[in-house]
Amino acid sequence: MKRIRDFINNADIRRFRFWLQLLFFVLFIYGGYFAVNLGNSIPVFSCGYDKAVGGMCYFLPLQHQLARPLDVLLSAASISVLIGFVTFLLWFIVFNKAWCGYACPLGTMQDWITGLRKKMGIRYSTYTQPQFDTLKKIKYIMLAIVILAPMGVGMGLLGGEWRTAFCEICPSRMITPLFVGDVSQWSLDFSTKTAMILTTLGLIFTGLFLIGSFFKKRFFCFFCPMSAMHYIFSDGALLKLKKDGDKCTKCGDCYNVCDMQIKDIADDVKSTNILRDDCIFCMKCVAACPEDDALHVDILNMKLFTSTKGGFAKRMEMDRLEKKDD
Amino acid sequence: MTEHKIETPKERQNRHKAMEAAAVLEKIKHDFKEPPKAMDYFYDLHERVHCKHEALHSDKAKVGTMCIQVPSEIIYALDAVPLRLCNGFYADDEIGSDFLPSKSCPLVKATIGQFASNNFSDKPDIVISPTTCDQKAKSGAIIENMGFEVYDMEFPRTKESHESREYWRRSVRKFTKDLSENLNTKLSKKKLKDAIKKVGYAQHLYHKLNILRKDNNSPILGKDMFLVTNAFFFDKIDNWIEAVEALANECEQRVKDEISVASKRSPRIVYTGSPPIFPNLKIPLLIELSDAIIVADETCSSNRMFNDMVSVDEWFVNDMVDSIADRYLKGCTCPIFTKNEDRKRRILDLVRDYNADGVIYQAFAGCQVYEMEQRSVLEAMERAGVPILYLETDYSPSHLGQLTTRIEAFVESLKNRKRRQ
Repeated sequence: MKRIRDFINNADIRRFRFWLQLLFFVLFIYGGYFAVNLGNSIPVFSCGYDKAVGGMCYFLPLQHQLARPLDVLLSAASISVLIGFVTFLLWFIVFNKAWCGYACPLGTMQDWITGLRKKMGIRYSTYTQPQFDTLKKIKYIMLAIVILAPMGVGMGLLGGEWRTAFCEICPSRMITPLFVGDVSQWSLDFSTKTAMILTTLGLIFTGLFLIGSFFKKRFFCFFCPMSAMHYIFSDGALLKLKKDGDKCTKCGDCYNVCDMQIKDIADDVKSTNILRDDCIFCMKCVAACPEDDALHVDILNMKLFTSTKGGFAKRMEMDRLEKKDD
Repeated sequence: MTEHKIETPKERQNRHKAMEAAAVLEKIKHDFKEPPKAMDYFYDLHERVHCKHEALHSDKAKVGTMCIQVPSEIIYALDAVPLRLCNGFYADDEIGSDFLPSKSCPLVKATIGQFASNNFSDKPDIVISPTTCDQKAKSGAIIENMGFEVYDMEFPRTKESHESREYWRRSVRKFTKDLSENLNTKLSKKKLKDAIKKVGYAQHLYHKLNILRKDNNSPILGKDMFLVTNAFFFDKIDNWIEAVEALANECEQRVKDEISVASKRSPRIVYTGSPPIFPNLKIPLLIELSDAIIVADETCSSNRMFNDMVSVDEWFVNDMVDSIADRYLKGCTCPIFTKNEDRKRRILDLVRDYNADGVIYQAFAGCQVYEMEQRSVLEAMERAGVPILYLETDYSPSHLGQLTTRIEAFVESLKNRKRRQ
């Protein structure tokens, strides 16, 4: 048992993550080709506009469901809406936000773009704390669009083109289908004024996505409504990111490696549940923590992966000295 | 006929310092149960440097540092050696008294004293003075007036805010650039990475030793640990690493063989406060001669210097420099900061982690920040039910009787407490 635990705590989490991300990418983007279908309540951006999708992003069906006329939405006919939601919760509850860090195809794409930037020897950029505090609120506005726009359609307040308003502006709609050779989403819809505005915004956001994630690690995740939605239910999840504040020296190593610039991870020594709304649960912080058991990932209150001095030294290659032949 | 020579002031000072160092080394070597064999390297090193005044770094550029906040990784990456100039000699303390107010910190006085007498075995080419405590910050100017090249490195006195982090990062970036120009050496990605890994490995070894001290069979006494960490101030890093590797292996074996340097009943002490720097190991020696054992410490001459490690996400020069900067600010528990919850948490964590029975808090008379923080730390310990003894000392060899009595009484009370449990 101790052996297994040491193996996990000393593991090179980056490599593990890379392969897992690749696996999920293939599963979600090309799953259709292998007759994989994990349903349409998946809590990540595995876009439904992809014809071979192996499990669809929950937001597309959710928006369609919410756009029903109000009396239908509130009747027994909407039991299917409830089932969809419960399925979404069940998927989510097990892995918590690890969906973002390990399974989301859009997240994986950003990590690949980051990899490209690293290869080119260009440094990443960061936000200042005040910028960050403002920007992080945008994802709640996005979530409001996901929920309120289709409901507005259902109530007859908005035109039908608002039905999937978020999807129209989501970069995933344009980018994901490219992986199966489908460029049909790369067009502007001139049918109505609203459709034109929305698809134009979509094009702009796609451009921003590509440029932004080149310079800023996980650029889009700051604005992601799915991330906001996750956070609402994350307290009930089985997988948890925990912190033992007594053991923390506030050295900031975790903050330093955090793609999402979450300051609490280093500075908050009071909370035990340290998962914040921006977190993508990539566990890089746990891997970068040099204090024994200060940060750990728990499943059902059992430590699955915990920070150790030894694990830190191993991952940073500080546990031995490279002997040079000079 | 033999030629008669009158001793020069320099020789006289060196003789005094050698006597001071030799007396302490004798005590360390012979007054205790057998120390690990690998400690011989450090006994010998301190003798060579402090008694025989041997130069260790004649072939390299030497960068003197006035505090732990000067990033040694960057200095090593620029092919120079960092020499920590914080001084523990009473002989130098007396000389320094002429330059500073009478109620100044003995460590600062001793450091200034060494500059005043311009008596170095390894003389620094440039002195880096971080603006940490008032006395150190002001010493920079005094030393500069004595004709040394001094570089003031700006250091914030708060560490919680985003602004202080940015400020310190900028300060370290500027330092890197300026030092690189001063030494006429270019900083390369590879050299910096190697330096981070080397210092990181040294820290890793220190941690390895410390983990062994958690065992109930303590393999090494605190006075020896202080010698080891003190040696890091001035030793060649490669030699230090090699010696600590051997020491860690020996201690590991000792733990396996259940060889202990203290008895089962010896109270386990966490040492905090003003840093014991060789040869001023007065308090640690008194503690361990009173049959207690120092199992952990929270001081800038030891634990604080090694504890927090650098983590880098992307190994570019800029990122490395910023990560290095963070290590020297964010985790630091120096009392110069406005608030210091971190220090209290740290001491309590050490007490728990190392299964300690009590805390001994030393403040140098004149070290205002440690003196000021005393009450809050005492209060925090009391609330946690941890016995603590507060001592105010200086470098003078007097007051030994009184200190011994107080320490012995404290150790005795801890023993009683242990027996009752």
